[in-house]
Amino acid sequence: MLEQLGQALTIAITAENFFFMAIGTVLGIVFAAIPGLTFSTALILFLPMTFGITPIAAISVMLGIFCGGMTGGSISAVLLGIPGTPSAAATVIDGFVLAKNGQGGKALGTAVYASVFGGIVSVLIMICVAPLIAKVALTFGPAELFMLVLFGLSTVVGLSEGNMLKALIACLMGLLFTTVGMDPVVGLQRFTFHFAPLMSGIGIMPVMIGAFAFPEIINTFLEYKKDKGYKEKNIESSVKAAFPDNKEKKRLLPLNIEASLMGTVIGAIPGGGGPVAAFLGYSLAKSKNPRCGSGELEGVAWPETANNAVTGGAMITLLTLGIPADSAAAIILGVFLIHGVVPGPMLFQDNGPMIYALFISMLIINVMVLVFQFFGMKLFVKVLNLPKINLLAVILSVTVVGAYATHVSFTDITIMFLIGLLAWFMKRHQFPVIPLILGLVLGGEIERNLRIALLLSGGSLNFFLHSVVSVLFLALSLLMLLSPILKPQIARLFGGKK
Amino acid sequence: MKNQKGFVFCLTLLLVLSLLAACSQPAATAPASTDPAAPASSPQIAYPEKPKDLTILFGAGSASDVVARRLTDLVTKDIGQTIVANNRVGGGGAVGYQHVLSTDPDGYNIVWNSTSISTTYHQGNMPADQGIEAFAGIANITLESAALAVGPDAPYQTIAEFVAYCQEHPGEVTVANSGIGSFNHLVAAALENAAGISVKHIPMDAKQSTTALLGGQVDAICNMTFDIVQQEQAGQIKTLAVVSEERHALLPEVPTLKESGYDVTIMMYRGIAAPKGTPAEVISKLETAFLAAANSEDFQSFAAQYGVEVKPMGAAEFDLYMAEQDQEVADLMETLGIKTQ
Repeated sequence: MLEQLGQALTIAITAENFFFMAIGTVLGIVFAAIPGLTFSTALILFLPMTFGITPIAAISVMLGIFCGGMTGGSISAVLLGIPGTPSAAATVIDGFVLAKNGQGGKALGTAVYASVFGGIVSVLIMICVAPLIAKVALTFGPAELFMLVLFGLSTVVGLSEGNMLKALIACLMGLLFTTVGMDPVVGLQRFTFHFAPLMSGIGIMPVMIGAFAFPEIINTFLEYKKDKGYKEKNIESSVKAAFPDNKEKKRLLPLNIEASLMGTVIGAIPGGGGPVAAFLGYSLAKSKNPRCGSGELEGVAWPETANNAVTGGAMITLLTLGIPADSAAAIILGVFLIHGVVPGPMLFQDNGPMIYALFISMLIINVMVLVFQFFGMKLFVKVLNLPKINLLAVILSVTVVGAYATHVSFTDITIMFLIGLLAWFMKRHQFPVIPLILGLVLGGEIERNLRIALLLSGGSLNFFLHSVVSVLFLALSLLMLLSPILKPQIARLFGGKK
Repeated sequence: MKNQKGFVFCLTLLLVLSLLAACSQPAATAPASTDPAAPASSPQIAYPEKPKDLTILFGAGSASDVVARRLTDLVTKDIGQTIVANNRVGGGGAVGYQHVLSTDPDGYNIVWNSTSISTTYHQGNMPADQGIEAFAGIANITLESAALAVGPDAPYQTIAEFVAYCQEHPGEVTVANSGIGSFNHLVAAALENAAGISVKHIPMDAKQSTTALLGGQVDAICNMTFDIVQQEQAGQIKTLAVVSEERHALLPEVPTLKESGYDVTIMMYRGIAAPKGTPAEVISKLETAFLAAANSEDFQSFAAQYGVEVKPMGAAEFDLYMAEQDQEVADLMETLGIKTQ
C-alpha cells in the first residue's frame, strides 16, 4: 500500500498533471456557471481532446470538470437566481435572498467553502470505505430507489414558503410535466400529440431556466417601465466576496459532515444523483434552522456540501463496480475505457498506483476549486454592481442559448418561454416555484422505479415493506410529510406539561 | 399599464414566432421523404461547402456515442470533412430520425443510425411514411452483440440449465432488458420463442440492470455484451451466452446462442444514413470518407477496446442489409404483438 502510494504520488504530482487538472477545473466552473451549459456538456465537448494525452491526465481533466462543475452551478444560483445546473436548484432559495440583501459575496463564499468541504470529505470516504459504500449502493433495488426518491419528494414540505396547498399544487404540476414523452415501460408515446420533439419529454434545463429567470426578468422590466426615473438601489462597494468566518464555520461544521456523508451515499446509488442530494441537504438545513428560506447561510451550505459530496460517491460505484451512477460518471467511464483502463472490481488489483494517483488528483482538484473560486469570486460579485436592467437584458439572450444548447432543440426554447410565463403568474399568485422543479426533477425516477417495483412484485404493493431500507425511507417520508401537523401538537403537548 | 401590455404583447409575439419556428420543421418532411428519386441535376456538386451535422440518437457518454464521436473525429481530421456530432435524444431514436428527415436531403444532415430505425418505426413511434424506405444508407460501421447473464450463485450456470429452469417456472424468472420494443427486449423475446419458454421482462437501462443483478433484484439480464464484459471478467456475474454468429473476442469461452441450439443471431448494426433523395454523388463522397475512417487502424483498435466488431459495408450493401434486418425485426415484433405498422 505504501509503495503503491509512493508510485501514485510520482504519477499524480507532475507539472503536466497539474496543468490538466487546472484546465478541467476552470472549464467545469465556467460551464456550470452559465445556465444551460452543464458540466455534462463540458465533459462531452472535451472528451475527444483527451484521446491524445496520458490516461491520468485525461482523467484529471474530466474529474476537474466534474468537481469544478458541481461548485460552479452555485455562482449563477446565488448571483442571478438561476441555477447553473440542476444540482444547484436548492441553492437558489437562500442564496438569492442573501444576494438581494447585499450579502451575495458571503453567500458565494459559503457555497464555495461548503462545496470544497463536501468534495474533500467524499474523497476521503471513497479512499477509506469505498467497498462498503458500494455494498450499500447494491442494496438499492427499484423499490428502495422509489422510496428514496419519495423521501426526496417529501421535502416539498420544507419548500412551501408558508402555503402548503399551493406548494403541493406546484409540485403536482412538476410531476405532471414528467408524464409527457415516452412511457418508461411500454415505450409508447404519452401526451406528445405526435409532435416528435415532445417525445424526449419536457426537459429539466429549459424549465429550470424559464422558471427561475423569467419572473425576475419580467418584473424588473415592468418596474422599469412603470416609473420612468427607475433608480438602481445603490449597493455598490457593499458587495465583497468573503468566506464564512470562524464562528460561522463552527456553526456549520457538524452538519457539513452529515451532509457530506449523505451526499456520498446518494451519489454512489445509481439513480440518486446531485439534485436529490441537494434537495435532501436543503431539507436537513431547514430542519436544523427553520429560518432557512429567508436568507440563511445554512440554506446555501448544506445543499452545496451534499451535491459536491456526490462526486466522490459517483466515483465509488464507478471504480469498484464499474457502474456509472449518473451521466457525468458515464462519460468519465468512457474516458477510462478509451485509455484501456477498465473500471470495476479488478481495477484495484490491476491498476493500484493509478487509482491512488486518481484519489490524490481528486484531492488536489478540490483545493484548486477553492483557489480558483477565491480569485474568481472577486470577479463574479462585480456582476451585482451592474445596473440590473442591463444585466437582465443580457441574461434574456443567454437563457435562449442555454435552453437550446442542452438538446439542440427549438422546442426547448418554446418550452422555456411558456414555463417562464407560467412561473411569472405563479409568483404573482404566491405559488412557490421550487416545488415545481422538485416534481420535475424527481418525477421520472419515481414513476419508473415504482412501475419496475410493481412489475417485480407482480402488482402487489407489499414491496413497500420488503426491506429495511424501504421501510426506513417510507417512515422518514411520512414523518416529513406529517411534520407540519405534528410539530404544533408536540409543541403544545410539551408546552402544556410545563 | 399601457407599457405593461406592450411588453406582454411583445413576449407573446416572441413566443408565437418561436412556436412557428419549431413547428415549421416537421412540415418540411413530406416532400423530402416522398420523392425518393430527386435527381442530382448539376453534374458537379460543390460538396462539402460547410460542416455536416451528425445526429446521435443516444445520450452523451454511452458506448455508441463515444464510438460515433471517435469516427467523426477521424473523418474530420484525416479526410478534411468537418462533422459536428449532436445528441438528439428521445423516443428510442425517433426524435433524431425525424429531425434528420425534416432537413433537406443535401448530405449536410446525416444520422448515426442502427437497428432502432426499424424498432421505433414498427412500434408506431414514427409517422407511417418514415420507415426504412425514407432513408438512404451511406455505410455500415459496426455490429454489436447482446448477451445473457445471471448471478454467480444462480441455480443455473449454463444456457441449457437456464432454459430448463424457465420451463419448470414459466413466467417467474425476471430478465432485465431495456424495455418493450428495445433491441435487448427483442433478443430476449427471440430466445423465448426459440426455446419455448416464458420469462418476465423488466425494463431497466444497462447501469440499473447490472446493479439489480448484483443486488439480486432480478434473475438475469439481457444487455449489450459491452455492458457485461467488465463484470464477467471480474467473476461477479456469469454470462450464459452471447447472441451472434461467432463468439465474442473479449469473451472467447462464452458460447453463442446458436451453437447452444437456439437459432437467434440478431445483432445490432450501426452505420451512417441520410434522408432518401440525397444526390448519389454526395452519398458516394460520404461513403468513401466513412469507409476510410472505419477501416483505419486507429478506429479498429478503438472499437476493439469497446468490444465492438467493426464491419464496414458500402452504401449499396448497407441498403440491402438494412432492409433484410428490417424484415427480421418486423417479423419478430409481429409474433410478439407489438408491431403496429
